[in-house]
Amino acid sequence: MNINNTNGNKIISFHGPLTISLLSFISNYLKLIISTDQVLMSRLYKIFVELTQNVSYYSAEVKEVEKGINSGIGWFILYEHQDYFIFTTGNLIKKKDATKLIKNCTEINSLKEEDLRILKRKTRTQAKIRDIGAHIGLIQTGLLSSNTLDFKISEIDSKHSYFTLSVKLDK
Amino acid sequence: MENIVIKEVPDSPYYPAVNFNAEKGICEIKGESYMEETFKFYSPLLDWIVRYTKEVKKPLAFNFKLTYFNTNSSRLILDILDILKKYQDNNGAVTVVWYYDPEDPDMIDEIEDFEMETGIKIHLVEFE
Repeated sequence: MNINNTNGNKIISFHGPLTISLLSFISNYLKLIISTDQVLMSRLYKIFVELTQNVSYYSAEVKEVEKGINSGIGWFILYEHQDYFIFTTGNLIKKKDATKLIKNCTEINSLKEEDLRILKRKTRTQAKIRDIGAHIGLIQTGLLSSNTLDFKISEIDSKHSYFTLSVKLDK
Repeated sequence: MENIVIKEVPDSPYYPAVNFNAEKGICEIKGESYMEETFKFYSPLLDWIVRYTKEVKKPLAFNFKLTYFNTNSSRLILDILDILKKYQDNNGAVTVVWYYDPEDPDMIDEIEDFEMETGIKIHLVEFE
């Protein structure tokens, strides 16, 4: 899979603060404009929410959207091809988090479905009640897509890197 | 013990509707759950269930009618099920029913995972 794949029909893209209101509106809008079977649409919807919320919660670039409420800044693009969808997100991360993110994504890509489910259960049980972390959202995305996570981390400066994640969902 | 009633709001579909009724011993969570402050939303619900198991001590039927929940919400759902399992292990009468859409095979996997993690039996009922 090519992370920069721009062939196919661009369904939607956005760059800015990913607020819950925006994500909720767009995720439900996608249900209206995409004609596909219910199972596939359900998976696309769930992947959209998980990955965009990961950007919203963990982007190193934030904006105060309301008094006292910050939202992570990032972008997403959804393309539809004849046989699959490709959903890509991008956001700034703290450089110190890059190693763990690479380890998590690499582990997810190495596991088959049943082992991913075991990892999901273990990660969820061990998670702190207030902060479950981005890891389980990535595991869930791997399970729903049945494809590997295509990720890229580029160094920006001494404190930041840029994380891009692309997921293929077969029709 | 007071009841908890939270109605669905079309402008914020990321909050589920909640109806916890202490007199009837019936709890229901319905809709979708992917709000930002997950713990803030679920914390009073967890407190209510704990209070019910300690003060009311009557049978409790818990009905999940969630059609979608994100992974953050799943952590708090796990906590609900853990409390119910603990009550059951202490001779509390608990029934957990999960209403699901048969067109959503991933939900069955989610429910199976919850059963494996908590050890509580979850009865499956198809949405009509």
